[in-house]
Amino acid sequence: MTQGLQIISVSKYYNEGPDRVTALDRVSLRVEPGEFVAVVGPSGSGKSTFLSIAGALLRPSEGDVLLNGKNIAKLSDKALSDVRLHEIGFIMQASNLVPYLNVLDQLLVVKRMAGKVRAEDKAFAERLIEDFGLGEKKKRYPEELSGGEKQRVAIARALMNDPNVILADEPTASLDTKRAHEVVSLIAREVKTRRKAAVMVTHDERLLSYCDKVYRMEDGKLSPADQPSFAHA
Amino acid sequence: MFLALKEIRHSKTRFMMITAIFVLISWLVFILAGLGSGLTTLAAATFKTMDADYVVFEQGSKTSMGKSLLPGGLTEELAQMPNVEAASPMGIILASAVKDNGELNGNKVDIAVIGVEPGSFLEPAATEGEVLDPGRMAHVIVDISMKDEGFELGETFTLDGTTEEFTIAGFAENQTYNHVPAVYVPIAKWRELAFAAPGSDKGIADPVNAIMLQGKNIDPESINEQFAGVDTVTRSAAIQGIPGYKEESGTILMMLGFLLVIAAFIVGVFFYVLTMQKSNQFGIMKAIGAKNGFLGKAVLSQVFVLSVASIAVGILLTYGTAAVLPKGMPFLLDIKLVASYSLALLAISMLSSLVSVRTILKIDPLKALGRVE
Repeated sequence: MTQGLQIISVSKYYNEGPDRVTALDRVSLRVEPGEFVAVVGPSGSGKSTFLSIAGALLRPSEGDVLLNGKNIAKLSDKALSDVRLHEIGFIMQASNLVPYLNVLDQLLVVKRMAGKVRAEDKAFAERLIEDFGLGEKKKRYPEELSGGEKQRVAIARALMNDPNVILADEPTASLDTKRAHEVVSLIAREVKTRRKAAVMVTHDERLLSYCDKVYRMEDGKLSPADQPSFAHA
Repeated sequence: MFLALKEIRHSKTRFMMITAIFVLISWLVFILAGLGSGLTTLAAATFKTMDADYVVFEQGSKTSMGKSLLPGGLTEELAQMPNVEAASPMGIILASAVKDNGELNGNKVDIAVIGVEPGSFLEPAATEGEVLDPGRMAHVIVDISMKDEGFELGETFTLDGTTEEFTIAGFAENQTYNHVPAVYVPIAKWRELAFAAPGSDKGIADPVNAIMLQGKNIDPESINEQFAGVDTVTRSAAIQGIPGYKEESGTILMMLGFLLVIAAFIVGVFFYVLTMQKSNQFGIMKAIGAKNGFLGKAVLSQVFVLSVASIAVGILLTYGTAAVLPKGMPFLLDIKLVASYSLALLAISMLSSLVSVRTILKIDPLKALGRVE
């Protein structure tokens, strides 16, 4: 069985009136477990469509999406939501935490969605929070956390269901440079130690040095970018 | 339940406000229901507690005791009809009682003098004192509420405007008619009182107002065919014929109906707006894998918790109110009524929140990410 995320010749069309707009044009990509891939590109290039398809939020018009060898390109909405729940960890921009849950519950709610919270789930959540340096704040609500802390909680939440694939959508959009480096290095560390296949969509080119491969998206076409010579590292 | 309770705990003020509104509504619903049932009981307790299934009136009397006059001899014939287990006559006049305590205009009380056959199924069970005795025509059973007016067991009173004296032989509970306490007398005595004026009996022998029948399977049609000039109705139809009864209960039912509709809108709109506000949040949760069922249950259980709490507080407040209501105010709220209105309120709030659940179904996780290209 192929591990990781494999996207094979995926296209996505939108109908805008009589015109057919091509958002993705035969995109192929393969991400192995433990590999951290970045996709950069101007806005409107199709990055988000790409991430939505990889993240089982959107079905492609053509092509296949293999998650651990399983094709998710043609699943029903309900099956897709199961895939998101069990196989994918999403890190969104602006962290997008649930405002009335404390840090611990933010992680546990993922398990609630899947059914019951067992004792080992709780222990796992506590360990994650500890690992992420949030032990002191596990009973705090999002409004009491800084931007960086919130984003760390979001990363922990994405790891909570022990997914095979981690997708990050502009995870540093609302952070200053220092925090942005912290957050992306944290993602990189987790991807390596936990052997996750990870894709980060960003237009923040300062952060590409943390990634193993960089692709550039332009007008719906994905192509390998030169290894970032402009990196800070 | 998890999300529901966490959110309630976190946004207390917001949920306190909707709870307060719902508490007030359920409080009002229960008070109105209690007053309504108190009023109708006062108007018709005699008929409601009466152990009869059908009532035979004179044709054209519109099931009103006051307009109906039948010969007493009909009772025997009716008792012979198929499915009729027992038949007994009844007569009612309204009067007032004056206490014989020497005071001038001392204590006048409006009463309904009800004539029944002593020992028949129409005679109320006396909770205190003795039963009616055909040998002692002036010994009567009266409604317990006359105690509050200062009438005691064994005491005598005069019928206002007559020289008739009565002795209270017993008290019975829940015996009011047309909002006034009932005074049960032997029917022979009642005839003397009701038809004192010559010709007022229209030449009918042994006149009575109506004849009550016992028997679950009585066919009213066949009785109407068999006897000319009678109109047989069920007991509940006879209650509707009591003067003012329909109008009273109709008014209160209308108010209750409006209240329930208002409750539906308030709860429905509140949770709809709340859900719209949170659509981004719900979208995010959908993006990380929450199913519609999970989120729908969160909203429904929230409505359930808040409704149950509000209704419970409403019930407590209602009984508190009932305790301080003046005694003259008719208020009667039995467990069955409380339970049925509680369930109605709960059902209505749950149904109205289905609008919010439908909204959740439509939330697109992609849109919630705010990044549709």
